[in-house]
Amino acid sequence: MDLSKSSLERLRLKLRYKVLYHVGHNCADVDDLVQETLVRFFRAEQRQLIRNTEELGAFLNGVCRNVILEYRRRSRREPTLDPDTPIPDAGIRPEADVLEMRDAIDNGLKELAERDRMVLRSLYLEGKDKEAICREWALTDAQFRVVLFRAKERFRRAYNTEMKRSTAEEH
Amino acid sequence: MDEGMVCKREPIEREQVIAKYLSRSLDADAVEEFEGHYLGCDECFDELRISERLAADLRASNLAWKQTDGVSVLRFKANAELTHSAQELDELRREVLEQSDSRVIIDLSRVTRIDSAGLGQLMSCYSHLVKNRGALKVLNPAPEIRKLLDMTGLSTVIPTFQDEREALDSFKN
Repeated sequence: MDLSKSSLERLRLKLRYKVLYHVGHNCADVDDLVQETLVRFFRAEQRQLIRNTEELGAFLNGVCRNVILEYRRRSRREPTLDPDTPIPDAGIRPEADVLEMRDAIDNGLKELAERDRMVLRSLYLEGKDKEAICREWALTDAQFRVVLFRAKERFRRAYNTEMKRSTAEEH
Repeated sequence: MDEGMVCKREPIEREQVIAKYLSRSLDADAVEEFEGHYLGCDECFDELRISERLAADLRASNLAWKQTDGVSVLRFKANAELTHSAQELDELRREVLEQSDSRVIIDLSRVTRIDSAGLGQLMSCYSHLVKNRGALKVLNPAPEIRKLLDMTGLSTVIPTFQDEREALDSFKN
């Protein structure tokens, strides 16, 4: 398995994303949960317990799920003594780097027509199906694709620029 | 739906899985499958993060933030209504309750209408921030909004200011 610094950091970033999705952003133990997952994963790998190396992601996901479940059980059994400790929220929100970019990426959608914005809101925020959105806004399949991928392309450019910058900072 | 093979499918189908994951409308098994997939797939993880940014921007489309002296100042970019059915109410909830900023000023100067749902939302924001050792202050409410805040007693709980500098300085006390 590739254990270079960059691939390990990438793995850590993905796990952090998953953990945040499940425990919320107010949880103070996110990094501990990620670390515990990685420790268990590499221990299993050293002991050659991973039978299907093609499915490392699924295995890692299982390890992380167990770590989160154990954490939840522990938290229920041993509630925090400090009543002022923040309650974990269940929502997903962008990482800190995204929040810093809030203003910078604001231009991304500014040029969009109101209809396009509403279409994208239906998809990403309301979880509606493509078919339902197309019906609601009288869009053809091709028109829907154009709205979606044109908007994504704007954000892809910003994302790629940022990834290049952070890679350059690492070196 | 086989989320495990999500990147082998049509881009539009993958995007639908990502959108449902972000809006939390995938069922538990599908979430497991998709997470198992992106933990091993850089391409799908990048797509997920790009879409997350798009979704974040959509959410905050009528809200602007700035950070001054460690305090987040939130303002509406266009006229807004904080009423039961208004989109802004949901945006406000997401922006305040789901972020880590704990010292917040909400600039109400562009709020043209507020109802019980809006007042309730302000109170939820206040409780959430206080619970997180922070504080909420409001800035520049229009006279009719100010009247409602006074009538409901909200202005005795949530300090109200007409001047931004004054509101910012109040966090230092």
